[in-house]
Amino acid sequence: MIFSRLDFVAGVRDMTPPLIGLAPFGLVCGVGAQSAGASPWEALGLSALMFSGAAQILAAQLIAAGAPVAVTILTCVVVGLRFLMYSAAMAPHLKALPTRWRHALAFLLTDQAFAAGIRRFRETGDTRNGASYFLGTGVLLWTTWQVTCFAGYWLGNVIPVAWSLDFVVPLCFLALLVPTLEDGSTRVAAVAAGIAVVALDALPMRLSLICAGVIGIAAGMLAEARRGSS
Amino acid sequence: MTSAIEWWAVILVVGSLNFLSRLSFIAVFAHFEMPPLVARGLRFVPAAMLTAIVVPSVVFSAPGTLAFTYANPKVVAAAIAAAVAWRTKNAVATMGIGMVTLWLMQWLLGAARAA
Repeated sequence: MIFSRLDFVAGVRDMTPPLIGLAPFGLVCGVGAQSAGASPWEALGLSALMFSGAAQILAAQLIAAGAPVAVTILTCVVVGLRFLMYSAAMAPHLKALPTRWRHALAFLLTDQAFAAGIRRFRETGDTRNGASYFLGTGVLLWTTWQVTCFAGYWLGNVIPVAWSLDFVVPLCFLALLVPTLEDGSTRVAAVAAGIAVVALDALPMRLSLICAGVIGIAAGMLAEARRGSS
Repeated sequence: MTSAIEWWAVILVVGSLNFLSRLSFIAVFAHFEMPPLVARGLRFVPAAMLTAIVVPSVVFSAPGTLAFTYANPKVVAAAIAAAVAWRTKNAVATMGIGMVTLWLMQWLLGAARAA
């Protein structure tokens, strides 16, 4: 049997403290859905089926601005292309699992779940351990996400704009980013991506995002190659 | 007024494509070996993508307006938050201190402008 209760609980337990910071992110997404005119069911669809804060915020903004449906869809998908890369990083670790597990874990693959899951797999090198842990992390995140988005949707205008609560979104991703900068080449990758995303900002449909990502990866690989050869 | 059909088109299409993106390599590489070049490149995905997501929200004070100076509360707050993340690796501390710094900087700048 794959499921290990011990590791599942560990996953839930380890992801509980970060929820405190993640909750405002969910609230912001819920507020965004409400101000864009989503019905309660549509708001639920956003958080339960799209299950991506960055995409949810973008979708709400674009729909509220009256953008064509095709543009909204394309932009959200482009923002979500980073999931391709998380999927590729996770793939070797999930190879040995049954299809049911692979599909379930794939559905739960968000930035936070990825960061926690990949670390557990690398530390333990054990498929059962990592998969159960990842499941615990993912289930906790998904459930909490529904609750906080829902709360944001209904609380909406209660939260003053002056609080700048939407700044928790970049902070949330920043907290995930810093621990990944473990060596010179990853730092090069980050700097390159940071410069590129600003330089390419004028591109439509947030294409700057995926272009900057690719440039960052290329820069990192080059830095690593040069380091190796010198 | 945006119709329900438009909302659900976005929700269902993006939802499915997101899931397919998340599943993509996990499904494929259950059956094939990953090329070494791909494996090497993957190491840089989180750092590159997360930076690309964070930076615009911090350095642009308005769409298209670059404000990469210490007078931008978000830049200062993000820098401090990054330092906290570096030292503590604690997500809660990072976000908490980041928000407090933001409010402090906004208040200071508001006070400076009024003076």
